[in-house]
Amino acid sequence: MQQQEIHNFLENYFTTNECEILENNRAYMQVQLTVDMDKQLMNRPFYWHYLEKTGGVPNPMKLTLITDQQQAPDDLKGELIHFGSPRLHQIFASTKKLAGFIRLYEEMQSRPPGNIPLHPWIGLNVNISYQCDRKRDVMMSLGLHLISGTIVENFQERLEQLTLTPKIPDLSFTMSPLIRPQSGLNRLQQYIRGYVNSDDHSWAEAARKRWEADLALLDHFYEDLEEKPESYFTEKEALREQYEPKVKVDIINGGLFYLTQQSTFA
Amino acid sequence: MDVAIEFEQNWQKDFLKRVDEDGPWASWELYKLAYEVEKHLVIPEFEGLQAPKHLQQLTPLPHQLEVAKQVVEKMNGKAILADEVGLGKTIEAGLILKEYMIRGLVKKVLILVPASLVSQWAAELNQKFYIPAVEQKKSYVWEQCDVVVSSIDTAKRSPHREIIYEQNYDLVIIDEAHKLKNSKTKNYEFVQNLKKKFCLLLTATPIQNKIEEIFNLVSLLKPGHLGNQAYFDEAFTAKNRSLQDDAHLKELVNKVMIRNRRGDTGIEWTKRHVETVPIDFSDGERQLYDAISQYRQSQSPFMTNMFSIMTLQREACSSREAVYMTLRNMLGKKDEEGNSIAPQELIQDLMQKVEQVQRNSKAEKALELIQKINDKVIIFTEYRATQLYLQWYLQQHGIKSVPFRGGFKRGKKDWMKQLFQNNVQVLIATEAGGEGINLQFCNHIINYDLPWNPMRLEQRIGRIHRLGQEKDVHIFNFATKDTVEEHILKLLYEKINLFERVVGQLDDILTRLEIGNIEDHIQDILFNSKSDGEIRIKMENLSSIISYADQMTEGGEQHAATGNS
Repeated sequence: MQQQEIHNFLENYFTTNECEILENNRAYMQVQLTVDMDKQLMNRPFYWHYLEKTGGVPNPMKLTLITDQQQAPDDLKGELIHFGSPRLHQIFASTKKLAGFIRLYEEMQSRPPGNIPLHPWIGLNVNISYQCDRKRDVMMSLGLHLISGTIVENFQERLEQLTLTPKIPDLSFTMSPLIRPQSGLNRLQQYIRGYVNSDDHSWAEAARKRWEADLALLDHFYEDLEEKPESYFTEKEALREQYEPKVKVDIINGGLFYLTQQSTFA
Repeated sequence: MDVAIEFEQNWQKDFLKRVDEDGPWASWELYKLAYEVEKHLVIPEFEGLQAPKHLQQLTPLPHQLEVAKQVVEKMNGKAILADEVGLGKTIEAGLILKEYMIRGLVKKVLILVPASLVSQWAAELNQKFYIPAVEQKKSYVWEQCDVVVSSIDTAKRSPHREIIYEQNYDLVIIDEAHKLKNSKTKNYEFVQNLKKKFCLLLTATPIQNKIEEIFNLVSLLKPGHLGNQAYFDEAFTAKNRSLQDDAHLKELVNKVMIRNRRGDTGIEWTKRHVETVPIDFSDGERQLYDAISQYRQSQSPFMTNMFSIMTLQREACSSREAVYMTLRNMLGKKDEEGNSIAPQELIQDLMQKVEQVQRNSKAEKALELIQKINDKVIIFTEYRATQLYLQWYLQQHGIKSVPFRGGFKRGKKDWMKQLFQNNVQVLIATEAGGEGINLQFCNHIINYDLPWNPMRLEQRIGRIHRLGQEKDVHIFNFATKDTVEEHILKLLYEKINLFERVVGQLDDILTRLEIGNIEDHIQDILFNSKSDGEIRIKMENLSSIISYADQMTEGGEQHAATGNS
């Protein structure tokens, strides 16, 4: 992530969360936090607890975030934000926490006459981790048409081309799904399983080989002992945790999308 | 291919609930941002390092990045990091730790370091790596904090030990791991029973004396890698070790150990200027020294005790206070039969000589030097009495100093270091204080008296001549003329280029020679020789053996001081 990207991201994040940006230039920004955002980011539960008990006037903090240290004034007091900074990662986590679930409707730019039917979809953004003593991620964005059962990939990228609103547009109506959300999710899970199963897993094979080799060494180390000491079993368990290959599927976010026939990508 | 797939379950439940209850729903902007965030955090490859792009404020050196890469890609996260002193093993460990945390493979971390380094480690991980490492101060820290730094001595004691064994650590880092070379110790046993999914052992001196030490160290990390005890004894112990087996052993060890040397790193080191400062005894001092030496020839059983005589001689070269403290201790001591270990009249005689000493020639010289340097100076002495005396003496002449000892508590060490860095001109350290503290903001060392173990001298120099030292380093060696001190400096240390040597190099040589305890060896030469001539010849022998071994060492590496001049 480049510094300019980070700057844009922060601007976007605070605006979306209704924080007023008091000052904003290429080098830094000053943000007036809302009460909610202060609670999210500033880690001062005692203050808020105290305030709620005493009924005082809330005074959420201002944050100064510097994204370009060279351009920022020398005497500016603020937090330097870069890709590794804890503050940015806290904001990343907060973004994910705030954006887990969604429901949106497509709005047509040029309206044809008459009522417009909107097709129900489930969209799911997932991160698939292949992990042993090493790790690799694959991101996947899937959409499932809840009438036909069609599944499309790169769903998020397609959605971002459309105009979407949280309220159903006038003269639009939603079609009833034939597939219930629960079984929709199951189908998507099945799809992911299929994808994973058909993938190349030489990494897992290699990890198992490393595991076996270390296990053989461990057995050799303790072979003269009739009764194996505790440390043998501890080591054995440690090797399992170190090498055992597994695939983890984490859901980034997802939701219901009602889209027009034209956008029914199938 | 049967690889277990785990699906996250909570999201689904939450989602279905919101479908039923019609919300609450996130905003589209935030939803898109979350997806974008994930794109940046995704780990695209098994190989390579992610950490550097998270650490834009840190510029690791090429060899440090290479180490991190190798540990993650080739060594499966279990390694002995054995770079020579001052090449930044902490940075390497930090990079590896960060890499695993970014990849989500490590969350819970235990870092065991010498007590004097606990706060330094915690600070460095926080400041340089943005890793929220916490110093262990309260017992709840073990459970509540993910990354904990502690001393091994604390960790191994109840109730900490039990709590630690209950934690599920993903990564264990142990600094100064050569202290675990003996498998019979409590520390060793404690670490052996720790669960080590990933593990880094840091040491500048992986082998100090015996080849068994490397077996013990490797067996902590990867039991069985060098076979079991019986197999190892048979294959590699000194008696039937052939060169071929040695090469085999080396190859095996290199699979779990990385050792960079200064010469390999291509880093330009600042120069080292070494100056011997000859000291002339005052009359009183000379009389005291001679009196002690004289008793060597006497027939008293006490005074033929090598240790006592040598100690007193060496102390006489340092300060009369040091001699006095030793004499006073001898007065009180009784042997098993209740007799004084030393003849009273002898001690009284020496004490009188102590009283007649009016000046300390070394202290005068030190003062002169400090005033001339007019910058931060570290004085190393072997004796606490000398340390105290010097502090007082310098104070009399308006020079402020702080003491530093191995026995200080962690906080006090940090405080002394800070006082030295910010407020006072001189730090006076005793031997134990030499280890594990980085003082590269200072570039002058006075060796007020010399230890008889060249390794300890290396450690002293290593405190300031390390990465981060920007200026040339000046080392002043005080040696009193016509004493044991002059012998060891002129006949041994200077002959083997000790002070010009790359820190860490000597260690290898001594290991190769299997001299065992070099300090005993030197003491033996100095004590049992009948004449100066004999001392000279024996010392020459020793130094030529060392020089010979040096030449055998990979064609002789560059010397630090000559390397960049």
